[in-house]
Amino acid sequence: MKSLLFACCLILAVTISTKADVAKPKTSPKPAKSVLHTSLEIVPDGKLYEAKLQISESDFQTLRAALNDAPGAGPVRGAIAFSAPRTIIAGLLMFLAVSVAGVLFARSSSFGRTQKALGAVLFVAVVLGAAAMITRGNAGPPGSWRWRNLPQALADGKSTIGGLDIEVVPDDQMSGRPMRLIIPLKKGNNPGEE
Amino acid sequence: MQSAVELKTWPIVRTVPSAKVFVAIVVLCTLASAALASWLPLQVSIVTLFLFAGPHNWFELHYFLMRLPVRFGRSRNFFLTAFIGLGILTFAYVTLPFIYNAAPWSEEAWSTIIASWNTLLLVWLALLVWLRSRQKTRANWTWLVPVGLALCSLNWLGPNFFSLAIVYVHPLIALWFLDRHLRRTRPAWSRAYRRCLCLLPLMLAAMIWQLSRTAPLSDDNGLFWRITQHSGAEVLPQVSSHLLVSVHMFLEMLHYGVWIVALPLIGRMASRRFWDVKTVPVARHPKGFPRIVTGLLVVAVAAVVVLWFGFSIDYSTTRDVYFTIAIAHVLAEAPFLLRMI
Repeated sequence: MKSLLFACCLILAVTISTKADVAKPKTSPKPAKSVLHTSLEIVPDGKLYEAKLQISESDFQTLRAALNDAPGAGPVRGAIAFSAPRTIIAGLLMFLAVSVAGVLFARSSSFGRTQKALGAVLFVAVVLGAAAMITRGNAGPPGSWRWRNLPQALADGKSTIGGLDIEVVPDDQMSGRPMRLIIPLKKGNNPGEE
Repeated sequence: MQSAVELKTWPIVRTVPSAKVFVAIVVLCTLASAALASWLPLQVSIVTLFLFAGPHNWFELHYFLMRLPVRFGRSRNFFLTAFIGLGILTFAYVTLPFIYNAAPWSEEAWSTIIASWNTLLLVWLALLVWLRSRQKTRANWTWLVPVGLALCSLNWLGPNFFSLAIVYVHPLIALWFLDRHLRRTRPAWSRAYRRCLCLLPLMLAAMIWQLSRTAPLSDDNGLFWRITQHSGAEVLPQVSSHLLVSVHMFLEMLHYGVWIVALPLIGRMASRRFWDVKTVPVARHPKGFPRIVTGLLVVAVAAVVVLWFGFSIDYSTTRDVYFTIAIAHVLAEAPFLLRMI
């Protein structure tokens, strides 16, 4: 009985000591989550003594909903969200549109109509291609383009507006900073270095 | 002898303004609308909606009644489809806010609901086009099938963008109505009018150029917030809300101008008292419905007064209610425009 009790105590002690020695599991740093794309205006104001960050109520609600993971709480956004069902439906409809247009084009006999149909098909294709490139391929001027004159504008006391992605970053990656504004300023864009 | 006959036919010689006067008025109104909408978008939006939203609906109803045949005849299916679709789509649209508030919809689910309504609208329009094309054997409208399908596809990619497009395209439909009307009643003005229409993209380009870098409008109160949201500030957050509200207001002012000023003055309504029910063919015809037409127009006048009263008491709520119910007049324009093509 004593030996049994001793063995139990030994096992318990070993278990505790073993558990206590277990290293804290390495947590992979969570990536920053982009929750909102909006625009930011930087306004220099000589009358203020403290910097202010003003945020619209709707944007704030979106941020709060994103943090709470409450999908219905945020306002409905109009961005082209590529959800699977909607993309499938859109793809099928576009397939039908192009197919029917192709059949009509093949059946059209007169040259004038053929030209018109060809023009229409080309136009639709170009518009769709351009839209796809702009929305999905990051075509067009990059976001930093709008910020290129920020230093000069700040020096002149003028405001600057540009696009902004609001990211929610885990606390441990912020190194004690509560908030950080990162502006995409290229060195070549700096008027002082040109 | 010939001059005597002419005198008998046209006993009153009326001075018809020349196309130049018409062009001058159109250009002046366009420039004034653009300037006002760019300068004070929110204030102009509030005042314009208060003054003209109700009356322009009355004039639209009057115009549609003027174009309604006494007997549908071969167009029976077309009008039945038009009115049934109008009722169903309006009812579905009015119920959308209740559906939204009834449950916590995810963004995805709500987008699907909006896309479904837009698809219903496109299907209804396609049906109307098909029925109309059967009456116009010479016209070939089959190319509208792939266009409709492509629009459906784009709608499913971005339902909110599609809904916003309806908000911006709807005012332009009035310009189309005016074009068709001028071609029938004043062909001499039609060419000049089409040249004036070239001014529209130029004005829009100038507004976009001027206002794209402006600071967003202050939407710190409920009403201003509603106005900016209606113009798409939430759907297009990268675009200055000043630009959005100004462009939308500019188009709305043109829309009101066409329905309240241009069409009544150019059309047959100018020759007689437009408030006289007998000016409406459906009421004037021996087999017509004068009581129903009178009742409709009187109810419409009462609705205008109620709207003004509502705007005076609670502008924001009345604005919301108006824009929800007003989808009916947006939809009603489609069948009557198709009848004019």
